[in-house]
Amino acid sequence: MCGICGCGSEAVHGDERERHHDAGHGVPLVRAHGHPHAGGARRVAVERSLLADNRDRAERLRASLAARGVEAIALVGGPGAGKTALLEATFAALGPAATAREAVVEGDCATDHDARRVAALGARAVQVATGALCHLDAHLVEHALARLDLGGVARLWIENVGNLVCTAGFPCGEHRRVALLSVPEGDDKPEKYPALFASADLLVVSKSDLLAHVAFDVERCVAAARRVRPGLAHLVLSARSGEGMDAWLAWLQQGAR
Amino acid sequence: MHEAKLCLSLLDLAERRAAEAGAARIVAVRLDVGEWSGVVPEALAAAFPLCAAGTRADGAALRIERVAGTDLVLREMEVE
Repeated sequence: MCGICGCGSEAVHGDERERHHDAGHGVPLVRAHGHPHAGGARRVAVERSLLADNRDRAERLRASLAARGVEAIALVGGPGAGKTALLEATFAALGPAATAREAVVEGDCATDHDARRVAALGARAVQVATGALCHLDAHLVEHALARLDLGGVARLWIENVGNLVCTAGFPCGEHRRVALLSVPEGDDKPEKYPALFASADLLVVSKSDLLAHVAFDVERCVAAARRVRPGLAHLVLSARSGEGMDAWLAWLQQGAR
Repeated sequence: MHEAKLCLSLLDLAERRAAEAGAARIVAVRLDVGEWSGVVPEALAAAFPLCAAGTRADGAALRIERVAGTDLVLREMEVE
């Protein structure tokens, strides 16, 4: 089989393969490479993003949630950034009556630990065990919502799988997206994982109670995040000590932009 | 990490467009991969022939262009 176009020819191409893959824009996809193609190939322009289906689905979900009076907030960040701990502290601060109007979709590769943690505080929670999948997408969230009663719910939290890479490109129907970066992870993460921080509406520097113990330069971190997302707002907080929680609750109260 | 799943999305889109164009087979596919897309082109290239087996794109060449940005765009195909 031809290694260039897979057309079945046994022709030998020499160094054609390299040139084939080095070809720049504007050259034919399959250049003349030593054997004829019966019938002749033709080009079909497509110009569509592979991420477009998810983006369209997320946009529909966002609109349908808004129509039901539900604001959706996505939490993204690495494993152990403190996403669930922030939810627990938020629900504890809101109190049981208000928390009864909070719903959570929890994404993890395995276990329902997180759903149980937030349900224990009175939130409606559903766990999505993604298996080998490294991120939630709008389709998975729609399926999760089919298992969740949103009647009377004012706010939906979508806690993504802990992942600084893949979650960036897949909106899940949220109105606002919060990127968490915990102090022990290091202040260089916005430089190393720019796409995630570029996708965020708020940067939360979490576990601030550990700032005294590790070398983490908040200013450097925020400056780097703002290089990829100009004007990005940030909060420094600790779910454990309570530092910064008032500002966080105030940000939540501001409502969807 | 999710290159195989993206490959299936790529093939789904490519097959739909090939069917619309009345093409029996897809000879080559050109995909733009954003530098910040989180996608490793080598992993995509490795997954592609496996995912394409049995489809119109069986044996098709996948040509990847690195571009700026976060998107993954199927630019064009060569079909027969």
